[in-house]
Amino acid sequence: MKLLRSGPARWLLAIVSIAAVTTVGRVIGLNPSTVGFLYLIVVLLISVWGGLLVGTVSSIIATLCYNFFFFPPLYTFTIEEPANWFALAAFLVASVTVNRLVVAARVQAETAEQRRKELETLYGLSIDLFTATNRVGALGEAAGRALQLLGAREGGLVLFEGSSYRQKVIWWKGQKPDEIEDLIAGVGRHQEAVELPSPLGRDVYLPLIVGGKTSGALVARGTEASKQALESAARLVALAVERERFIEENAHVQALRESEALKTSLLRAISHDLTTPITAITIRTESLRRRAAADPDLLEDVAAIAAETDRLRRRIDNLLSMARLEAGKARPRREPTPPADLFRAVRENLPLVFAARPVTLHVDADCPDANVDPSLALEILVNLVENAHRVSPAGAPIELMARRHPLDPNKLRLEVLDRGPGLPPSVADADGNIATETSDVAQRGLGLEIARSLAAANGGMIGLAPRPGGGTIARIDLPAALLPVEEQA
Amino acid sequence: MTISSVILVVDDDPAIRDSLSKELRAAGYSTLTANDGIEGLSAVQSRGPDLVLTDLAMPRSDGFELIAAVRAFSRVPMIVLSVRGADPDKVRALDLGADDFVTKPFSVTELLARVRAQLRRTTSPPSSMLAFADLTVDVERRHVVQGGREVRLTPTEFSLLELLAANAGKPMFIEQIIARVWRSAPSTTADTVRVHMSSLRKKIEPDPSEPRYIVTEPWVGYRFIAEPL
Repeated sequence: MKLLRSGPARWLLAIVSIAAVTTVGRVIGLNPSTVGFLYLIVVLLISVWGGLLVGTVSSIIATLCYNFFFFPPLYTFTIEEPANWFALAAFLVASVTVNRLVVAARVQAETAEQRRKELETLYGLSIDLFTATNRVGALGEAAGRALQLLGAREGGLVLFEGSSYRQKVIWWKGQKPDEIEDLIAGVGRHQEAVELPSPLGRDVYLPLIVGGKTSGALVARGTEASKQALESAARLVALAVERERFIEENAHVQALRESEALKTSLLRAISHDLTTPITAITIRTESLRRRAAADPDLLEDVAAIAAETDRLRRRIDNLLSMARLEAGKARPRREPTPPADLFRAVRENLPLVFAARPVTLHVDADCPDANVDPSLALEILVNLVENAHRVSPAGAPIELMARRHPLDPNKLRLEVLDRGPGLPPSVADADGNIATETSDVAQRGLGLEIARSLAAANGGMIGLAPRPGGGTIARIDLPAALLPVEEQA
Repeated sequence: MTISSVILVVDDDPAIRDSLSKELRAAGYSTLTANDGIEGLSAVQSRGPDLVLTDLAMPRSDGFELIAAVRAFSRVPMIVLSVRGADPDKVRALDLGADDFVTKPFSVTELLARVRAQLRRTTSPPSSMLAFADLTVDVERRHVVQGGREVRLTPTEFSLLELLAANAGKPMFIEQIIARVWRSAPSTTADTVRVHMSSLRKKIEPDPSEPRYIVTEPWVGYRFIAEPL
């Protein structure tokens, strides 16, 4: 069948058919009208079989043969009777018209058939993409199958990574030429399909667009499929790519959520398990202290146990704060917090420090409230006060100050002032400020590090500066919660 | 203080339960103990304690269930033992009807102060004169004296002070304050409360750097901290 449909075979068949009708007509001696019908039938069949060109040429050859062999004078291309001119002209018009009608009908049938096949392919593709695929690889295979069914000889699916149109080949049939990379990027950037003639026939480059964003490109090389079919395929693949991304992101979010939940429950368990024995020790120590009131030696030991327990409690608090920051649990829940209330909470948290040395608290009358997470802000202050206590000589006072920020009206500044050894002068700059990434961090230990992390989480920052007259000032700049201007009742 | 008050201690940890009971007895209270929410509930039903101290995390029936179950039939004061960092738990417990909380590890002195405040609040008859160290609030005459000087308050400030002082030791939610002082007027926000509270605090606190009467209670609202005389 294939051989019969090839070019030379069609021509040969056309000539043989016309020759056969001519021979039969001459040998049997059929009258010109009958021969005319036979020629018409043969041209019709040739048109069906051979297409427009073969059909048209056959019409002309048949007309010439009709004239040459059947209209007198025979064996010449002249015509005696004027009536035969009409017959021959009518035959030519009829045969060309038949040829054109037949060919038009055939082309339409073929187009319809191609559309049907394309629709079937697209339907198959949509089923493939939306039911079977659950990974990007499977998506590529489905797109590849669709391209093949759409008659592409080469081509594939390329996804863009990031906004720079960096390309990742998901699936490709044949050799992907390097030079088409720019073309694919251009298609992605301009979000327009490009159709080009190529050695393979016709190449179509289609952007994959969902919600105004290009996620990749579908390339069909050497395809005869209609542009509409290819564009529909690209739309389906684009939706499937989007769906894959969504599923992946969702899985990632789910995994994060689960890991966060695990960390949270772990933290809760640790926090409960560690604080319970410390609570029991604290209660017992207080009981012991009450009963040892008459024995100064024993009282001293009890005080030491209390101090160590308190240190352990603080270490656990620090550990939990760091873990909470890590686990994303310390996402600050900010609320307006008066600095005086923070100072009071510091006193409650560090009773031994307040008992061991004078600690003065001062809040300026015009100092605004802080817009902070109260427990994180407390943790910052407690760490800084503990540090100040650690480096200060016995009996030296610590001062806590709160005031409006000297430069920024939307901030307030808390200060912890000590009379410790102060910062090494070499690390202070001309203004007396120092970067905290110095050896001082080592001196002040984990507490400062935690305070800095917590301050950052609160939208604030910590700086250390040498204190005139000796010692260090730890400054915490925090966002202020300004009172709304309101009529007093 | 009611010396013979009975306190129920609900905690799954024997070390806490025993040491706490011992200290409470040393302070003059009688104690009962329960291992979890279920035992705690039956102890409240059968023994009618004057105050309940309960942990929140317990294996069988936790503190939240106990608070909800007790509040269905009793107004006995309940103090929750919460852990650091579990602020949402603390707020939830107060929401369910707990009266106060202490954060583990707490000092016995602190706990005893909270216990006293709760027992006093529920046992003393309502009085028209609220008296604290250096502060008296005459509810009938709407008259406030702090450190021997009369303090002039606006009607809203007085209502705020009256509400907090009458509930000394109890954390008050902003919503409760709005409901009681502003009768839930629709335009009243947390900021409205803040403005008036800030002005009230400036008037009654002798040293604004070291508040003696009113402090903020993180994620809840405010608390009156002075002990009634």
